[in-house]
Amino acid sequence: MTTRVTPSVKNSASAEARDLRAIGWEGLARSASRSFVSADSAPDRRELLVIGAGEGAYAIPVERVREIVRLAAITRVPRMPDWLVGVVPLRGEVIEVVDLRRRLGLASVGATRSSRIVVIHGDNDGIAGVLVDSVKGVMRVPESDVLPAQGHDFRSIVEMFRSGESFVGILDLERVVGLADD
Amino acid sequence: MAAPRARKPGKKTGTSGSGKGRPPSKDGREFVAEAEEILEQICGDLCLLHEQRHCQGEVEPELVHRLFRSAHTLKGLAGLFGQDAVSRLAHRLEDILDGLRLGRIDFRAPVVGLLDDGVATLLSLMTGVGRDASPSEHATAQAEQFLGQLEQALAAPPPVEQGDLAAAGLDPTLLRALTEYEEHRLRESLRRGRPIVLIDAMFELTAFEEGLAEISGAVRESGEIISTLPSAAAAADRRICFTLLVATDLDPVLLGRRIDHANATLRVVHPGNTLLPAGAVAGAAARAPVSAEGATASRATPESAPETPPEDGPRIESLRSISGSVRVDIAKLDQLMNLVGELVSHRNALGNIVTRLSADSRNARIGADLAKVQKLLDRRLKELQASVLDVRMVPLRQVFEKLSRVGRRLRIDLDKEVDLEFVGGDTELDKLIVEQLVDPLVQLVRNAFDHAIEGSEERELAGKSRVGRIRVEAFQRGNHVVVEVSDDGRGIDVASIRRKAVERGIVSEHEVLSEREVLNLIFEAGLSTRDTVSQTSGRGVGMDVVRSNLVALGGLVEVASSVGQGTTITITLPITLAIIQALIVRVGSDRFAIPLASVRETLRVADHPILRSEDKELLNLRGLPLALRRLADEFELPDSASHESQFVVVLGMGEQQLGLVVDGFLGQQDIVIKPIKGPIQQIRGIAGATELGDRVAILVVDVSALVVDASRRREAA
Repeated sequence: MTTRVTPSVKNSASAEARDLRAIGWEGLARSASRSFVSADSAPDRRELLVIGAGEGAYAIPVERVREIVRLAAITRVPRMPDWLVGVVPLRGEVIEVVDLRRRLGLASVGATRSSRIVVIHGDNDGIAGVLVDSVKGVMRVPESDVLPAQGHDFRSIVEMFRSGESFVGILDLERVVGLADD
Repeated sequence: MAAPRARKPGKKTGTSGSGKGRPPSKDGREFVAEAEEILEQICGDLCLLHEQRHCQGEVEPELVHRLFRSAHTLKGLAGLFGQDAVSRLAHRLEDILDGLRLGRIDFRAPVVGLLDDGVATLLSLMTGVGRDASPSEHATAQAEQFLGQLEQALAAPPPVEQGDLAAAGLDPTLLRALTEYEEHRLRESLRRGRPIVLIDAMFELTAFEEGLAEISGAVRESGEIISTLPSAAAAADRRICFTLLVATDLDPVLLGRRIDHANATLRVVHPGNTLLPAGAVAGAAARAPVSAEGATASRATPESAPETPPEDGPRIESLRSISGSVRVDIAKLDQLMNLVGELVSHRNALGNIVTRLSADSRNARIGADLAKVQKLLDRRLKELQASVLDVRMVPLRQVFEKLSRVGRRLRIDLDKEVDLEFVGGDTELDKLIVEQLVDPLVQLVRNAFDHAIEGSEERELAGKSRVGRIRVEAFQRGNHVVVEVSDDGRGIDVASIRRKAVERGIVSEHEVLSEREVLNLIFEAGLSTRDTVSQTSGRGVGMDVVRSNLVALGGLVEVASSVGQGTTITITLPITLAIIQALIVRVGSDRFAIPLASVRETLRVADHPILRSEDKELLNLRGLPLALRRLADEFELPDSASHESQFVVVLGMGEQQLGLVVDGFLGQQDIVIKPIKGPIQQIRGIAGATELGDRVAILVVDVSALVVDASRRREAA
């Protein structure tokens, strides 16, 4: 069902541990989204970045991903809702980081060695970071494999697809990142 | 505090779906930028025009001429960019100014009062152009209506009697050579009884420009050159003659002495007809006068005529004057500032390495060498920073000119006699702050006009002068700029403010409040609606909005008033939001940056006994009580227990002070405040974040928010 799984982050993550710069994922995401629009790739496939949070796997449309950064020291910010972990500097900007576990209603475990911050483009040049447990890779999923998730009463998942034995939920980024907090 | 934001005129780059508006092109932005500059010039000149009309009863001809040219340029520019509405309106304004210039319209004509409205209408048209490449429908309709108004006002032009130019005693050939404008100036000068002088001067062909400029300069000091005509009179080889028609305020004899040119002669044509030599030492070098009927130019050089076409004199001058400056999009300046900011944070990272190296005995030598390099780099970086900051600075005069226009408008609308005075227009502020300052200041001036200043009769009864006074004064105080708006109106009645506040549940009945605290209640949302306050104190149109706008700039507003005497609103603002010096403090394991501009001093807790009651703390600062606030409590951080080893940062904003308790100091640094991007836009008490070079974000404390919160807590307690 999945045509291609790009090398997992573990392989490319052999860089100096202290260096917290963006790793090569930005370029990867870009080339992926290029191939997505190019003529030879079937238009009925979706390019999705698959990430892990808790036990589950979730997906984000590749074209919404600006870059993936290894975990920097996150500065906590007072007077913030608990799903906002804090802020990190990112090449001249300072961005807020949302805890995906909290947004999905899972217990927050904080950051681990495999944690990453996925930087997401908003609609109107806004950006935000999403703290995820791990980044698994980019998948090209045939449009026909994508199922609606509305009937299942998820708040943060709009669609899903099956990958091996389990379902992967495609995240509603506006819900996860945005202010749609109730 | 809003961190510097890029102001991009016409930021929307995608095609707008409205269909009607073209997507704003680079051209549109260029047009607005250029047109704005012309309009600013027009605004400033109109201010001068009104001032001269009021104070001197007449207007400098050069000023009217300049206004006419500005309107003309704007018309042409708008035509070039296809902005028909702007072009048409500018054309009409040009007509009026032309009429004024040529004496066809009297300065007392009502249409002169409409010039300000014309500028305002142009501005609102251009706001639309800047946004969507074409004016909004509302603005266009407004412009149409205004044009109609203008037609009406112009329909019956007051007859201006035309004096007879024959009285000037000038040669008819010369008279025929004059343009309509020059004729008008001549007539005007005759009417005012100024002596009319013809100056004939001969110059070397190679140096006539300097010679002519010299004479012109001397004449302009105390008079006016009505026309400069290349004379047909014969001159010696490689020489050229000019005739200057001059109206002077000086005795022509004195003028003759001032014109220190060997080959010039003066002829007084009105009154009388006398010949005067030029130059202090008359006689010796004075040539025989060159008369117009003299020999025909034997070797009239072809260059002579085209080089000084008579009417184009001023236009040539204006072309020269634009070369001195470059207009820059503020977004580009922001970009430059960001780059400098990046450099600053790299410099800070370098500093960390220097410290590490120096601490290690094996590398101490390298550390010392690097430290030297770093010092040099530091110095240059500081200069670079200062220069970039300096470029962003603009004088407040621009804002004052806008306020003055609002004032003239209000004077008519409200039919009140008010003197609006401005002091300190040279005070400079960051362009971004200046832009944000306009609306609050307009609001304050409007309030003062509308509510604070009484009617003339009421003022006379109160023993005041009939004419009310509003004064806007700006000055620099340390790293802040203070803008005061004061009036001599009826003042604010503290008791009635208090009564209203209690009625509205903003304060409780038994609360003990100082007079100042009660006065500051006018900035509360519930109290500052027009109907509540205007009848009692005369203030309060959206004062809460005024305050929140200024607080967003990192500013502070205070009010002082006494009944019957007047009110003063004081605004304290940081000079720039771009790069600032900050004190880095530690609370537990967290670091925060506090803008140094707001830090008055720092103290050790151990040196100052603290008075505690409930959860409040007070410190004795040289005999005066200083309220304390723990940063750990403020930001709900763990461990806010008091330790002898803690420090107090004394924060000051305007008249207010607050002691902020922190665990330690980590030094001073230049920082660039960055806006925090993400789902949550505004965080109370946090002005933004910065990075010191260790790839960790540090939050910047919003001092004005903390100070305001503290005083509110005191009021609420």
